[in-house]
Amino acid sequence: MAFVTALRRLAHVRLREYSWRTAAVTSGAWLTSQRSFTSSSPSLRSDNKVTINFVNRDGEKITVKGSPGDSLLDIVINEDLDFDGFGACEGTLACSTCHLIFDEDTYKSLGPVTDEEMDMLDLAYGLTDTSRLGCQICLTKSLEGVVARVPESVADIRQSKDESS
Amino acid sequence: MASLSHFTTACWKNLQGDRMNKQLFFILRALHKSAASEASGISAAGEEAMPDRLITPVADVGEKTRIMTLKEMPGPSTLSNLVEFIWRDGFSRIHEIQMEHRKKFGKIFKSRFGPQLVVSVADRDLVAEVLRAEGVAPQRANMESWKEYRDMIGSSTGLISAEGEDWLKMRSVLRQLIMRPRDVAVFSDDVNKVVDDLIKRVCILRTQEPDGATVHNVNDLFFKYAMEGVAAILYESRLGCLENEIPQETQDYITALHLMFSSFKTTMYAGAIPKWLRPVIPKPWEEFCLSWDGLFKFSRLHVDKRLAEIEAQLERGEDVKGGLLTHLLINKEMTMEEIYANLTEMLLAGVDTTSFTLSWASYLLARHPRVQQQIFMEVKRTLGPGAVATADDVPRLPLIRGLVKETLRLFPVLPGNGRITQDDLVVGGYFIPKGTQLALCHYSTSFEEENFADASDFRPDRWIRKDSTDRVDNFGSIPFGYGIRSCIGKRVAELEMHLALTRLIQKFQICMCPRTADVKAKTHGLLCPAAPIHLQFIDREI
Ligand code: FES
Repeated sequence: MAFVTALRRLAHVRLREYSWRTAAVTSGAWLTSQRSFTSSSPSLRSDNKVTINFVNRDGEKITVKGSPGDSLLDIVINEDLDFDGFGACEGTLACSTCHLIFDEDTYKSLGPVTDEEMDMLDLAYGLTDTSRLGCQICLTKSLEGVVARVPESVADIRQSKDESS
Repeated sequence: MASLSHFTTACWKNLQGDRMNKQLFFILRALHKSAASEASGISAAGEEAMPDRLITPVADVGEKTRIMTLKEMPGPSTLSNLVEFIWRDGFSRIHEIQMEHRKKFGKIFKSRFGPQLVVSVADRDLVAEVLRAEGVAPQRANMESWKEYRDMIGSSTGLISAEGEDWLKMRSVLRQLIMRPRDVAVFSDDVNKVVDDLIKRVCILRTQEPDGATVHNVNDLFFKYAMEGVAAILYESRLGCLENEIPQETQDYITALHLMFSSFKTTMYAGAIPKWLRPVIPKPWEEFCLSWDGLFKFSRLHVDKRLAEIEAQLERGEDVKGGLLTHLLINKEMTMEEIYANLTEMLLAGVDTTSFTLSWASYLLARHPRVQQQIFMEVKRTLGPGAVATADDVPRLPLIRGLVKETLRLFPVLPGNGRITQDDLVVGGYFIPKGTQLALCHYSTSFEEENFADASDFRPDRWIRKDSTDRVDNFGSIPFGYGIRSCIGKRVAELEMHLALTRLIQKFQICMCPRTADVKAKTHGLLCPAAPIHLQFIDREI
């Protein structure tokens, strides 16, 4: 499941040697439970993958495919895209580092924003009117070809600020 | 909460695992040279010259904008700090001192407590900068005494007391269970059962008063509500806190918790007093251990009980169903010791924090009847008569959300949070070496006019958005912290508060009791009411 992979990736990419004993257990863990705590919507097993274009901080376009139901954060992790610091809280709505910017039409088609996402967006760096949190957006067929721009990171800012000051 | 001393206390309450009031901590720590030096390794040298590996961009910077050293940073003198804290009981006024120092020294200033240096960051944008620059495992404060106790009893650390990889591992497991709003929403029914009992309790308590309306010291009531609520989620069982007769084991736990809280000042020193002095001054460490014994015992009892039930079900070939604890026990992502320790720390962190906030919220409602009426109208309109709200209704109750946010802005349970820098940083034009203890001054940023117009006014509607692109700024009030080490109990606490406040407002008009005057806040690890709050709960006509 996407989330497990995500965790593994995180472990791998972000934590390096850190041994991630727990990752494998995460998904499906709740299957025995009464309540469903499943961490990401089940990816539909399908061939009908959706194409997404990320624009990284250097302005380069990276085209990848994802399955409907995956979140944009899942895709960044599954595809091992190297956006420094992206998705720090693993999609638990605690950080806003999965901030992505869309064009206006796409933004409108992304569906409603929850209060909790808005609260976290308030804390995102370089916020725009068409910003969303990548961990809250699930892929659907209708998002085929979508362009998501990764905003400048804080580290970039700090450096340029220091230089210009 | 932890180690550092018991400043810990502060921490404990915060499951937040993550946030704490370090300030105190520091302070205490600082009082003891030896403790301090073993503490966070913050060396006095930090204040000396900048190392030459200094951040590169600096090279091109002209004389005027050169990065300054800690030496140049303003702040109160060591002596005046000592006087403030030792003679003038500064510990209980930490939040006010934060404001005074902000006015006097600006957005960033340093304080020295003996050998312990604390850099206070009292500006929204600088706080944002610090938190955004965090790495994978941020550290709040030194938690050695917490860790020492856990080593002594052969237990593990929990989210509050753990650091580095240990912390990250547990955090990764737990955040997948109780941080996402939709995962927490499923607890609505459990929480609502506790709210039922809260309402019944209000009705019983007020009949015991001559006016038939007053509930004496509402914090006592909310303490029991918060404890019952957190336990319902964490332990999947009811403790009976809101019953007339509280079961003995629950009573023992409450006693341990009260001991931790009431002996805050003494126990604070447990961590600050160097080990070799313990034979001479044994009490703080003994009380510290005694309260932890009580807290751990309770959590072992409940965890073991659930484990036995699960084993019995498995033996009978039944399906095992359950919530958080069941998941942890079945999936074994954490060891038993880690489960005990985390449930202990989460329960600890989830009780006083929630109860103080509920006390302040009810107090503010009583003080501002018009605001209360406005919220009541919203609830009535949205839910209709007699309907019980669940998490799914909360998005349609923006004033209830605003009430909680505004209460936490005016009375942030943790008036300041701590961070030990994991890298060299430049903050506010100053070079801050790795390993420096920072105090993020949430209390003072919450009252900045620039961040919140008419900042001392109670206005839950300031949090209401006109539409989804309307930004209600900000880093000025982040009572649960921000980022990877923010409060892990945030969503659970919000759910408990939203559901309780909605129901209280539906049922009762909350009024000031003539015996309650102006209640001020004091810092006792957490920001709490300095005097008991007595309120009247008068039935609304339906
Ligand atoms: S990953 Fe943290 S909010 Fe999306």
